Amino acid sequence: MPVTRSSSDYAVRTTALRKAFRANKQQIEALKGVDLEVTRGQIFGFLGPNGAGKTTALRILTTLLPADAGEAFVAGADVRRRPQDVRRRIGYVGQIGGADLSATGRENLSLQGRLYGMTSAETARRVNELAESLDLKAFSDRIVRTYSGGQRRRLEVALGIMHRPEVLFLDEPTTGLDPQNRNNLWDQLRLLRETGTTICLTTHYLEEADQLSDRLAIIDHGRIIAEGTPHELKQRFAASTIRLVPKPGAVSLEQLGREFAHETFVSGLQVKDGSVQLRVTDTTEALAAIFGRLRNLGIELRTVSLTEPSLDDVFLQETGRSLRDSGEPVAKEAA
Amino acid sequence: MMFLLQIALFFRRKMLETLRQPVWVFMGISVPLLYMALFAPLLKPLAGGPGFPSGRVLDTFLPGILALMAFGAGMGAGWIVIWELQSGVIERLRVTPASRFALLLGGVMRDVVMFIVPALVVIVVAIPFGFHPHWTGIFVLLGLLALLTASVSATSSALGITLKEIGSLAAVVTGLQLPLTLLSGVLLPLSLGPDWLRVLAHLNPMYYAVEAARDLAAGTTASIVVSEGFLVMCAAVVAALWWGTGSYRKAMT
Repeated sequence: MPVTRSSSDYAVRTTALRKAFRANKQQIEALKGVDLEVTRGQIFGFLGPNGAGKTTALRILTTLLPADAGEAFVAGADVRRRPQDVRRRIGYVGQIGGADLSATGRENLSLQGRLYGMTSAETARRVNELAESLDLKAFSDRIVRTYSGGQRRRLEVALGIMHRPEVLFLDEPTTGLDPQNRNNLWDQLRLLRETGTTICLTTHYLEEADQLSDRLAIIDHGRIIAEGTPHELKQRFAASTIRLVPKPGAVSLEQLGREFAHETFVSGLQVKDGSVQLRVTDTTEALAAIFGRLRNLGIELRTVSLTEPSLDDVFLQETGRSLRDSGEPVAKEAA
Repeated sequence: MMFLLQIALFFRRKMLETLRQPVWVFMGISVPLLYMALFAPLLKPLAGGPGFPSGRVLDTFLPGILALMAFGAGMGAGWIVIWELQSGVIERLRVTPASRFALLLGGVMRDVVMFIVPALVVIVVAIPFGFHPHWTGIFVLLGLLALLTASVSATSSALGITLKEIGSLAAVVTGLQLPLTLLSGVLLPLSLGPDWLRVLAHLNPMYYAVEAARDLAAGTTASIVVSEGFLVMCAAVVAALWWGTGSYRKAMT
């Protein structure tokens, strides 16, 4: 990593960020020293179970909540010392929405534009542009209360990017959306990245973190436990499983297993369900070696299958729990 | 410039919100009229008695009703704030560079308008029933009571943000409303009450507004009571706006 990068090269940079809350006479440490670097122009995901500290981190970065200790720079400005500079450069789409329900979509967007200092002509132009690109045209003059969930989410995203922010923060943006609307939103966010916007989003959906993020940080109990591209994380922390089923009568499973037991690329071996299951970290290397060996031994296989690691494996390996079951009842974040 | 523009933008947003709910506008005007229609007859026998020296019941009673309207117009602000906290509107606006003071003032100004317009209707309606308007006094009076609405509105917003819950807010606001209004002599002049009640009343900021309002309605614009009323209301507005702005700065769901 280059040594001389300054904070302004990053969309987000934090050091030793801490935050604690008191709830029910208990001290809850929401963030226990978070160090983070998000380079510009990417989609960065915060993955973690409910109560992990994702929302707290996002609220500190968006100037909504002061940190107890540590530093945070967003779009080159210090969140604590220059919150107004941060606010001008970022957009935010909250978890609970944020559109004014008793106004029309157009009124919502116009107000947002004017608050960021855009002229009324500029605002009107931008509203039409967003209505076009986010497909809001058909209902932009209706009162927001009458919108469907997907329509409202699109308006809220439009509100977040009305002033063309450098960094857009989204808190659980696809929660409650049906698959079609979710995929639309993913496409919108990818398009937005093409225009140079940095996007930071929190999610507790493995698939979302995996498919959408260029890089991601896995958060648990207020700490970042892993950080990297989805591919790197899966490579680094979790192994793929290669399942070998020999042709009937060709070789016994035990014999087949013994052939690979001492290979350096094998990190674990099990014989079960009529197959030999090898845990490997480098799939490409392992497959080549396995096929080479089998050809030399003249062993024929009936099937070979490969299970890629998932981010849940990464989470499991780091925390001993599955992310899917980690919806633990923690005091409502930042409550 | 930017600051004034933001106030105008937030005011416009709030006015649109109100005008889209005709029920609010209708209730704002009909409730005080009902008060006059149903309560004033009860006062008839008191005319000429203690506390009503002029003998004109409505002249004493109307300033009280106007003060009650001023209080009521600001009271609801906290409900709307809680609702906006829950729908995320305030969180979204707090991420923009918009001034928190302007955000608060938009709602406060709406409440002031929603006091003044029905108040004018009530004044005009009261004339044929025997109210004697002194117009200069009336306009100064509306200015004074607008300050009352503003301080109640900002206080209610601050309470809403602090309590975050409709139930608690309702308990606190209605709990305050009764002593504040009764101890200001809105319905009956406090000169009818015992000494201890009058001492207690002097601790109530609203008392000074109501006393001044009676003087103003009678056409006295330059009296100690009137200047006291303005002094106390100005202090109340400054304190309430200060608190309200501070709450918006830290507002969290």
